[in-house]
Amino acid sequence: MHEASIANELLSLAIKECKNNGYNRIESIKINVGRATGIMTDALLFAFNVLKEGSIADKAILIIEEIPVSGICKDCGNRFESNENYLIFECPNCGSFSTELVSGKELNITEMEVSDENQSYHKDT
Amino acid sequence: MKIKVTTKILDANDRIAEENRKIFEEAGVYVVNLMSSPGAGKTSLLEKTIESIKDKVKVGVIEGDITGTNDAERIDKLGVPVVQINTEGACHLDANMIAEAAKELPLKDLDILFIENVGNLVCPAEFKVGEDIKVMVLSLTEGDDKPLKYPLMFQESSVLLINKIDLKDLLDVSIEKIKKDAQFLNPKIKIFEISCKTGQGIEEWTNWLLTNIS
Repeated sequence: MHEASIANELLSLAIKECKNNGYNRIESIKINVGRATGIMTDALLFAFNVLKEGSIADKAILIIEEIPVSGICKDCGNRFESNENYLIFECPNCGSFSTELVSGKELNITEMEVSDENQSYHKDT
Repeated sequence: MKIKVTTKILDANDRIAEENRKIFEEAGVYVVNLMSSPGAGKTSLLEKTIESIKDKVKVGVIEGDITGTNDAERIDKLGVPVVQINTEGACHLDANMIAEAAKELPLKDLDILFIENVGNLVCPAEFKVGEDIKVMVLSLTEGDDKPLKYPLMFQESSVLLINKIDLKDLLDVSIEKIKKDAQFLNPKIKIFEISCKTGQGIEEWTNWLLTNIS
C-alpha cells in the first residue's frame, strides 16, 4: 500500500479540521484502520512522524485503532471474523470467495485532541 | 479539547481518481481501464475494437508504457485521438498521470476513452484512475493458473477477455479452469473468449461494450 500518501492526506485533513474549529495545535489524532485495507500500521506511523515535523501537529500522537475483518459467506452463510491482515476474502469455513465484508475496510479519523497555543500560555503564567 | 470527527481518509491517488471521474462524467465519456500482462494483446484488442466501433461512437485512447511510442503509433494509424504516457519506470498508471494526459484529449467530443495500462498483472489493479470499468485481458499462452495467482486483478475487473483462443489446440491450457477460477474469485465477472488474430468473439465483446455505454 501507499502509507506515505495516506499519512500526508490524514495530516492535512486533521490540520484543516483543527483550524476550522478555531484551534492552532493538534495534540492527538485517533484513526480507525480496517485489517482489510492492506495498510501496514508501522509504515503509516513512521510516515506520519516524519511528515508532521514543522506543522501544527509536530507534537501530535497518532493513535491507531485496528478494526478486525468480519464478513458473511454468501455460499454457506458462515459469519467469520479475523484479526489477521486479510486481502483475499475467503470464507474460513467452506473456502468460497463469494463473501460480503461487514467490516475491515475502514480508514477514518474518529477523534482529535486540539488546543490553543495562546490560551495555554495564559494558563501557565 | 476533544473534537469528534468522522472523516474518511482517502489516499491522494483515490482523491485524484474521484476528480477525474467527475471530469469524465461531465464530458459524457465512458472510460475503460484496460489491463493485462505484457504481451497478452491489449493493443491488438484496441485495434480490433476501434475498427469495429469507430463508425458508431467517437473513441479516444491513452496509452501507458514505461517507455516508447510504439503503441500510440499503432492507434494513431486508425485515425483516433491518442496520447502516449511514458511512466519512466513506474509499473502502473496512476490517477495523476491520467489527469494530465486527459487534458490533451477532446473529452467533450468523445463517447468512449480507453486507457491502456502498463503491462503488469499486479500493480495496475491497485490504482483507480477514474474509470467506469476495469477490463482485463488474459491470453491462453499465460497458463490457466493465473486467476488464483493474481486474484486482485480478477476481483477488480468487470470483464475478462480470454485472448488467443485460436491457439487452444496447441496448448495444454484449460479455458474452463480459467473461467471457473475467475468466477470463483469474482462471481459477477463477464467473460468473452476472443482471438485478435482471427477476429473470433470480437463482435460479442463490442456489442456488449456498445450496449453498456449507451
